[in-house]
Amino acid sequence: MPTMLLPDDRFGLGLRTDHYEEIADGGARVGWFEALSENYMVEDGGPLRWLDRLRRDTPMALHGVSISIGSVDPLDGRYLDDLARLVDRVEPMWVSDHLCFTALDGVQMHDLLPLPYTEEALNHLVPRIQTVQDRLKRRLVLENVSSYIAYDASEMTEWHFLAELAQRADCELLLDVNNVHVSAFNHGWNPLDFLAAIPTDRVRQFHLAGHSHNGTHIVDTHDHPVADEVWTLYRAAVERFGPVPTMIERDARIPPYEELLAELEIARRLASEETPA
Amino acid sequence: MSANAGSLADLQRAFQAFMLAGDTGFATKVRSGGRASREIGLAVYRDGYALRLIEALEIDYPGLMAMAGPADFELMARAFIAAHPSRHPSVRWFGRHLAAFLAATPPFSATPAAAEMARFEWALGEAFDAADTIPIDADALMSLASDSWPGLMLDPVPSFRRLTLAYAIPQAWAVREQAPPGELGVDPADRPTPWAIWRADETSTYRSLAPDEAALLDALAAGGTFLDMVGAVAPHTGEDEAPARTATTLRLFVEDGMIARFRLSD
Ligand SMILES: [Fe+2]
Repeated sequence: MPTMLLPDDRFGLGLRTDHYEEIADGGARVGWFEALSENYMVEDGGPLRWLDRLRRDTPMALHGVSISIGSVDPLDGRYLDDLARLVDRVEPMWVSDHLCFTALDGVQMHDLLPLPYTEEALNHLVPRIQTVQDRLKRRLVLENVSSYIAYDASEMTEWHFLAELAQRADCELLLDVNNVHVSAFNHGWNPLDFLAAIPTDRVRQFHLAGHSHNGTHIVDTHDHPVADEVWTLYRAAVERFGPVPTMIERDARIPPYEELLAELEIARRLASEETPA
Repeated sequence: MSANAGSLADLQRAFQAFMLAGDTGFATKVRSGGRASREIGLAVYRDGYALRLIEALEIDYPGLMAMAGPADFELMARAFIAAHPSRHPSVRWFGRHLAAFLAATPPFSATPAAAEMARFEWALGEAFDAADTIPIDADALMSLASDSWPGLMLDPVPSFRRLTLAYAIPQAWAVREQAPPGELGVDPADRPTPWAIWRADETSTYRSLAPDEAALLDALAAGGTFLDMVGAVAPHTGEDEAPARTATTLRLFVEDGMIARFRLSD
């Protein structure tokens, strides 16, 4: 596996069409961008033109939502071909997707559906992850998702499952701090137990994002600023995992670029307090 | 706990049946006792599924929304979601069969303007997403030797689409934001009207075509030579006028950015 590149400045933002012009005019002002793979798995045209242009000045990671790594459907060969082509074009620092299933019998649910935490699921995932890693010639980075239900069938905790999977499949993890918080609240477990079980050398990236709190439950909506509880958990994550590349995801009610830059400053400040230079 | 072989597949099928059709069997496989109740957790998935797909349709079909209004649009969207589950990893393709669905399915088929609006809006979106190209300019064409013209063939730009519409759809679409939601009226056209849709620079554009222009474009897009185009134009203009009229119209299309390249047949 090739060595991963790391950005000089480890704080980044999700690349969103709303901000293309502003970034082209005013510069990125962040260390790197996370580009959503599916937006650019298209014919040559506007989206790829923008991607190429912004990539010239700023390192990027690729982040997908539909590899459906946990589905019992066969891996989608065409999707992997398209992704491999995009990887050749972008030369990303790393490639991530979610630990979940999104499609079954060819029908796309367009949602990150949780897997049961079972030995059977581990045995199913490991060879599939290895196939993807061989195809992309790099380690796959898998993200923990927010979940709203838990399965009767689960035989272990989510954190044991993730730790075991990373070891067995030799993949890496994208730790979404907001998702840890959301799932912990919904299921009633302690998010620090989650962090404590994840091997420190497997975490390639952090996600931060906002959510919607509905009193009885929290939904991972990416339409608000990062919540205070998530910042607190982020501090604990930095304390445990060290200077891991960090970015903020915003997918709805997208504010001006400046506002996200200001929010990213909070991450910089908290992280520098946890990891003094 | 259960650990029988194949339970992963069973569990995923049950989840999907719940999301797509509200099948209740899945609830028995879900644990209760978290902070959020089982029912709330299940509802997050089920509601989210429909809302995401409805939102995808709203983005692609603002003209239909202006015609139908939010309540009827949602009814229509839910019927479409039930009939056409998404089959492409990118949700941007989800709405591609909407026009055919509306044309064939009661009660929507009773409003043929709705299916035509959907056809028009999808074509606009396709034109927007089509591959880039640099169109040829008129000088390139006009510098051709006159004995090359009979074998001249032209390729439209990748964004080019041709529709024939029985309603004044593009006219209504252009004022979709002026009408209160649900009150965008669409009049029948005087006669079925051919339209060209394509992208010049960054935005999709469209215009109506005279019958001889449509005949010419159809011959061109089918891979015909200049002589074939003249043959298609002749019934509308008469034999004598046809060659000059064909050349003039072609020049117009080139200047409008509709032509990607030309070739000479041997
Ligand atoms: Fe995330």
